[in-house]
Amino acid sequence: MANNNHTEVIFGLYDDEEDLLRAVKAAKRDHLDIYDVFTPFPVHGLDPILGLEESRLHQAGFIYGALGTLTAFLGMTWIFTKDWPSIFGGKPYWSVPAFIPITFEMTVLFAAIGMTVTFYIINGLGPGVVNTYLDDRITDDKFCIAFDKSSVSVEDAQSFFKATGASEVNSKTI
Amino acid sequence: MNQYTFAAIHRNVLLGAIGLGIVCMILTWFGDTDAYHTRFWTNFLHNSVYFTMISVMALFFIATCITAYAGWHTTFKRVWEAYSMFLFVGLALLLIVAFGVYFHWHHLYHWADEAGVQEDAILKGKSSFLNKNWYLFGTLIFVGTWAFFATKLRSLSLEEDKSGNNSFAQHKKMRVYAAVFLPIIGFTSAAMLWQWVMSVDAHWYSTLFAWYSTASAFVSMIALTILLIIFLKSNGYYGEVNANHIHDLGKFLFAISVFWTYLWFSQFMLIWYANIGEETIYFRERYDNYPVLFFGNLIINFLVPFFILMRNDTKRKFGSVSFVAIICLLGHWIDYFLMIKPGALINLQHAVGAGHSDAHGTEAGHEVAAGAGHAAEHTSQFVAGFSMPGLLEIGTFIGFLGLFLYVALTILSKSALVPKNDPYLEESIHHHVI
Repeated sequence: MANNNHTEVIFGLYDDEEDLLRAVKAAKRDHLDIYDVFTPFPVHGLDPILGLEESRLHQAGFIYGALGTLTAFLGMTWIFTKDWPSIFGGKPYWSVPAFIPITFEMTVLFAAIGMTVTFYIINGLGPGVVNTYLDDRITDDKFCIAFDKSSVSVEDAQSFFKATGASEVNSKTI
Repeated sequence: MNQYTFAAIHRNVLLGAIGLGIVCMILTWFGDTDAYHTRFWTNFLHNSVYFTMISVMALFFIATCITAYAGWHTTFKRVWEAYSMFLFVGLALLLIVAFGVYFHWHHLYHWADEAGVQEDAILKGKSSFLNKNWYLFGTLIFVGTWAFFATKLRSLSLEEDKSGNNSFAQHKKMRVYAAVFLPIIGFTSAAMLWQWVMSVDAHWYSTLFAWYSTASAFVSMIALTILLIIFLKSNGYYGEVNANHIHDLGKFLFAISVFWTYLWFSQFMLIWYANIGEETIYFRERYDNYPVLFFGNLIINFLVPFFILMRNDTKRKFGSVSFVAIICLLGHWIDYFLMIKPGALINLQHAVGAGHSDAHGTEAGHEVAAGAGHAAEHTSQFVAGFSMPGLLEIGTFIGFLGLFLYVALTILSKSALVPKNDPYLEESIHHHVI
């Protein structure tokens, strides 16, 4: 999330996703409040352990798609019956089967563009946006668990990282 | 429990269903008012083709999964192997239809009437493919080939249970058989659907038809698989098969339903747009005389799976996914009903209208006969067993469904439910989709 308030985090880097999964389970068991988890690729089974809710992006996608359907269908209906009625191949003005392919394309286009833009906005991404990150290697080969220093004490965090086998522990203000 | 035992109660229920089917077929035979027993033969052809296609689609999907290095289905692949063994029964059933063409037991196909073909330029042009020899040859050799591959893939899979090891010799052999089978099924299933189903409307053709009817059979196969797996699970079997596998089957049910709709619509729209008389006749007939089934087909086979299975959780919950599976199984049966019955009714009316009388001799006579046939059809909008599936059609369907499941469950009880030593077994047991 884009956040203007600076957060002091302490984070541990793991070499393996299995270590990470075990560590996340241990953190949940010890009631340590995880700030966030970063992995270079989607780790299977991580979402349910973290207790993440299912993304609502696809619901937004459905709405965009439905908007595309309506725009295309009602648009063509208006154009070919009211605005500029034309006869093609002896077909009636309101030729529903001929509208279907375009309606389908517009549905896909609206859903795709709408979901992409929504995804960029809610994640604070986009061209020219500079994002803060904890460590370069979490996009390569390291798996990271981060704690907010205001909710988890540094000592607790360090002993946790040591116990769960983190290869590195660092702090950063983001 | 890794060994399925075909419980006596299930056996009796299925035998009861088969009995009901036989009674309905006998009633249909004696209730038929025409000499050709067209209602009986259309029901027979309709259900034989429907369940044979379900069975060959199961085989096709096994071969596809092997070739695609897919492993998610491995825990329950015995279900598809069992389905594919129905091909032997399907072969026997369709041979009856093929011999019927040979010996004129029925009048399902206009092209089977040799005297009529000689006067008909279109049918004459198609007679090198639409003839009784090709029909018998295709049914016997092509379905026989499918049955051969089904037996081969199943016996290798059973052999793997016994003597499989880390060299995966059997699986490597299955890979070869699967890869050889895929192009064969690609061409032969299309050819047989043209012969069995599309040639009921012998003057009409559509290049999309084979795709469209195959997609229909594929959806039915997935639907029946979901239902059987949920049934077996409710009887305490298949603990290894969980919501993740059902989720993937649900995705196929959703995706292929959409694919079917795409083909249905493409076939319709191209014909509608081109507006050429000999092509539009197929849809004109169904649109005018079968509007409920024609649009109902689209609603239950597209809107129901599309809107219900769109969400993640409805594909994972057994209740919602089996509801859609039942709808799709019946819906695609009605789809095949619409492919066969209207054309067969027109063929019947031509035959009865022409009556092989003197009017049949000339081209003009043929037109008169056709006119009479159409007039008869327009005065009576509802023709029992043709305009709508009647109780006898539904009974026959239950009979064939019972036969299909009886064969499948008998085969299933002969081997372990979950295969052993399959290279993809672990992958399938640990299959997670979310």
